Amino acid sequence: MRLVVRDLSHIFPGKPPRPALRNLAFEVESGQFVAIIGPSGCGKSTLLRVAAGLLLPDQGCVELDGLTPAQVVAQRRLAWMGQSPALLPWLTVRGNMLLAQRFRPSGGNSRVEVEEALQQVGLSEASQAFPFMLSGGMQQRLALGRVLTQDAALWLMDEPFAALDELTREKLAADLLSLWQPRRPTVLWVTHAIHEALRIADRILVISSCPGALVADLPVVLPRPRQEGTPEYQNLLSRLRAALGSGKP
Amino acid sequence: MKRSTWIAGIIVLVFLLLWQGMVWLFKLPPYLLPAPSLVVLTLVTNASMYASATLVTLGEALAGLLLGLLASVLIASLLSLRPALEEGVMTLAILVKSTPLVAIAPLLTLWFGFGILPKILITSLVTFFPLLVNLLTGLQRVDRALIDLFKSWNASRWEIYSNLRLPSSLPFLFAGLKISAPLALIGAVVGEWTGASNGLGRIMWLAYSNLNLPYLFAPILILSLAGMLVFRFLIWIEKKCIFWQAISMDE
Repeated sequence: MRLVVRDLSHIFPGKPPRPALRNLAFEVESGQFVAIIGPSGCGKSTLLRVAAGLLLPDQGCVELDGLTPAQVVAQRRLAWMGQSPALLPWLTVRGNMLLAQRFRPSGGNSRVEVEEALQQVGLSEASQAFPFMLSGGMQQRLALGRVLTQDAALWLMDEPFAALDELTREKLAADLLSLWQPRRPTVLWVTHAIHEALRIADRILVISSCPGALVADLPVVLPRPRQEGTPEYQNLLSRLRAALGSGKP
Repeated sequence: MKRSTWIAGIIVLVFLLLWQGMVWLFKLPPYLLPAPSLVVLTLVTNASMYASATLVTLGEALAGLLLGLLASVLIASLLSLRPALEEGVMTLAILVKSTPLVAIAPLLTLWFGFGILPKILITSLVTFFPLLVNLLTGLQRVDRALIDLFKSWNASRWEIYSNLRLPSSLPFLFAGLKISAPLALIGAVVGEWTGASNGLGRIMWLAYSNLNLPYLFAPILILSLAGMLVFRFLIWIEKKCIFWQAISMDE
């Protein structure tokens, strides 16, 4: 799914009003994995919420294959994953997966899809468990499995692994990459982790803080799996660090 | 038995012994304060009378509680589906809530007679408000991340209500029931006090008119026992229903 952000601005009302985004504009080609990085509170989440149709911006718009986010949501063509795993505690692992299927317009082969997705995120054994029995990493993996069953052309991920410890986060980021590669949906992935962004993304957008505006647009054209030691990687890393530094107020 | 249960039993026992001791020590006459032993004796010698009265009062309390519960679930659900109505309906509910019970009870008896209907209505009026406030809070206070997720699935307001809000409100429902269930007993007794042909409240009113305090205290004992049992039962059911919280709390 092709994503176009046009002149997007948003100010949260209040005293004082908090400007979240200012004249943000960029385009993402279909199938691109884009990491969005920047200081906290710079409107990254706001951008994602606009793209998911959860928030109407003050100015500008996001177009998804020429449609509004609301139209794409109505077609069930985007999948949302937030910072918390957002699981229903009274449903089992499988129950949580099946619930997402219930809202799909065409039921399809949902049971088979759910079993496949559970297997791909390594939760087949735990399918009868309840979320409170799972570790934080397993909970996010369940949320990731739920994204897989959506069969969506756009994945919007708002710091999905931020609450996890570093080891689990790296493992899940690698899982995310391997699950994305055969499907190739367009991904907007908000993150704080510089190295994970460099290892996974096709492209990194750096956004400045308050209000968020585009500071740098770095294509990452390195073959995967990427090695931290290579000069190309180090070159990108220093450019990324420079862009992040200049974005500070 | 758990250690906490033992401690609770000992506290109650010490309280009763102190009471008994006070009556003995100050030689209090039964028309001022009857000893617990005399209350129990009264209860045992009039067992069948108290048993039938208890059944009537508990029946009224239960029916009233169920009616109050039904009304609060319906209204809280309506308000969570149509938030624009909240302010108006809540103002009305507070109006009903702040009308003194002792003023409504005789009126209802006047309108509906000495049967069980006015008692059930009074009980439902008392139990309704705590249930409504708790349920409404539960239906509204849902994790925003879950609301976002359901919206990304294009779920309708009704689908969010039935799949997310209603189950999320269960802990709040139990919080409301723990307040309302003991209130239901009070409601039924107050209803009977203002005019009834049967029930514990009727016995209490007669005993009070004759300053026959052992007869007045026996129903109090029954009511406090019933209130305690109902409360324990609710805690037990709550643990079964909200298993995901019960287990994480035990840890």
